[in-house]
Amino acid sequence: MIPEYLLRAFLASIMISVLLGMLSPLINMKGLAFLTHATFHSLLFGAVLGMILGLLIGNLGIIIWVALVVTIFVVVTIAEIENRGFTSDTAIGIISSFVAGATVLGFGLLYKVMASRPYFALSESIVSYLTGEVFLITISDLEMLIFGGFLLFLAMLFLYRDFLYVSFDPEGVESYGGNVRAYLMVLYIIVGAIGALIVKTVGLITLQVVAVLPGAIAMMLSDDLRKIVGISLFLTLCIEILSIFLAYATNIPPSGIATILLGIIYGTLVFKK
Amino acid sequence: MEAVKAENVNIYYDGYIAVENLTFKLEEGETLLLLGPNGAGKTTLLRTLAGFHKEYTGKLFVFGKSPQEVKDFISYVPQSHTLNERVPLTALEVVAMGGIYKKSFIHFKIPNEILKSAEEVLEFVGLRHIMNKPFKELSGGQKQRVLLARALISNPKLLLLDEPLSALDPSARVEVANILSKIKKEKGITMIITTHDVNPLTEIGDKIMLLNKQLVAFGTPEEVLRDEIISRVYGPLSKAIKIGSKLYCIIGDVHIHRGERR
Repeated sequence: MIPEYLLRAFLASIMISVLLGMLSPLINMKGLAFLTHATFHSLLFGAVLGMILGLLIGNLGIIIWVALVVTIFVVVTIAEIENRGFTSDTAIGIISSFVAGATVLGFGLLYKVMASRPYFALSESIVSYLTGEVFLITISDLEMLIFGGFLLFLAMLFLYRDFLYVSFDPEGVESYGGNVRAYLMVLYIIVGAIGALIVKTVGLITLQVVAVLPGAIAMMLSDDLRKIVGISLFLTLCIEILSIFLAYATNIPPSGIATILLGIIYGTLVFKK
Repeated sequence: MEAVKAENVNIYYDGYIAVENLTFKLEEGETLLLLGPNGAGKTTLLRTLAGFHKEYTGKLFVFGKSPQEVKDFISYVPQSHTLNERVPLTALEVVAMGGIYKKSFIHFKIPNEILKSAEEVLEFVGLRHIMNKPFKELSGGQKQRVLLARALISNPKLLLLDEPLSALDPSARVEVANILSKIKKEKGITMIITTHDVNPLTEIGDKIMLLNKQLVAFGTPEEVLRDEIISRVYGPLSKAIKIGSKLYCIIGDVHIHRGERR
């Protein structure tokens, strides 16, 4: 008999794999790894802010929503700075430094608030946003992950071609009547929303790796779009499931196993090449 | 009808003047070859006409309206090296891209009528047989022809081509020049082409503009391709030679740059 928490972790991993497996090739093709890292860092700031507010008002359920709002605000600000003619790296650099500083200050404030509110649910640990807690996922977390994930999957699926075209030749898209600004904004929001939805399950550190490496590995193995997306999806799913079973058997955090496995595969391919 | 009309146009780039006091007219159906050294403002002028670049003063009209108002009539063909070839698109998908954006925002599937038009324009540029090949696996000349097909699918009235012959070997240059000649003859589209090598294109050029941050010369090939004019931009070793009825321009490595601050 499979324990219920393991089943929940298994179902969460399938949804996470579908989302990150599809997103990862886009991140690589568009060259969004730096933006993805900045976005996911802003999730931590959002989680810290959400936890402070949640402890103050006695509702820790708002953490994910605050993280989502902060992340979307961050990606929209980055996109707006880019639209004003600054390079992507500059825009991300400016916002990332602000977010990093605010996160450190937020931790200081959080510890003070935590000291004043000693009783709160143990599942709401800020550390879980860094390392992930797939085995602590609740039924309501799972419902939100599946419902939100399905909507984001549909958004990605229907706009995938447009994201590819914007990655291939943004000026071309603009020249032929497309709204590049709108497409990029939607893509950035999807990246942020996917991160917000799964960060607590996977952990910020692993999220940064799993969002980038499967796509990078798939692009090393094929030049065909369908195969790239297929390999990325399959690889993410295999790694996620394998890491859960290894974690169950060895009592090692699954997100750490997933990250190391992906690193080994990517490293092997690079050295083989 | 005037396809392009510029009167005392100054174009700025990052606060610096890129093109100064430009005045010229181009009639509908004519082909303008835009010559000048690197940094002369050719691409900036082309991007301004395409409606991408908006920092300019003076009067600039494309078919009687501002470039932004007539974007639907304009097709811009960038230099192929500016494209992100990590994106695995086929030649057909690249061409179809030129036809889908006027109709809707979401393109889960390319409509059949666009695919049919894409095949037709690929046939026009002689590349229907490679339509399912990945774009990045095509030769330089083939890539440029695919980009021309992409520009043609939207039935433009003005084609803006940025260095369509750059980084191509001589036979590929002729290949692309032949397609441009075919576009002029069979479709009668007004074209503005920036180039460093005018020789493969002199036969289709009705007008030539020599630009070096300001207008150095504008007129027919016979009027512009003269030693005393081209030497002002390309130095004393540059020569214009006529063999039979064809004009050739021999340009040395010397470029005379003219710098200006705003």
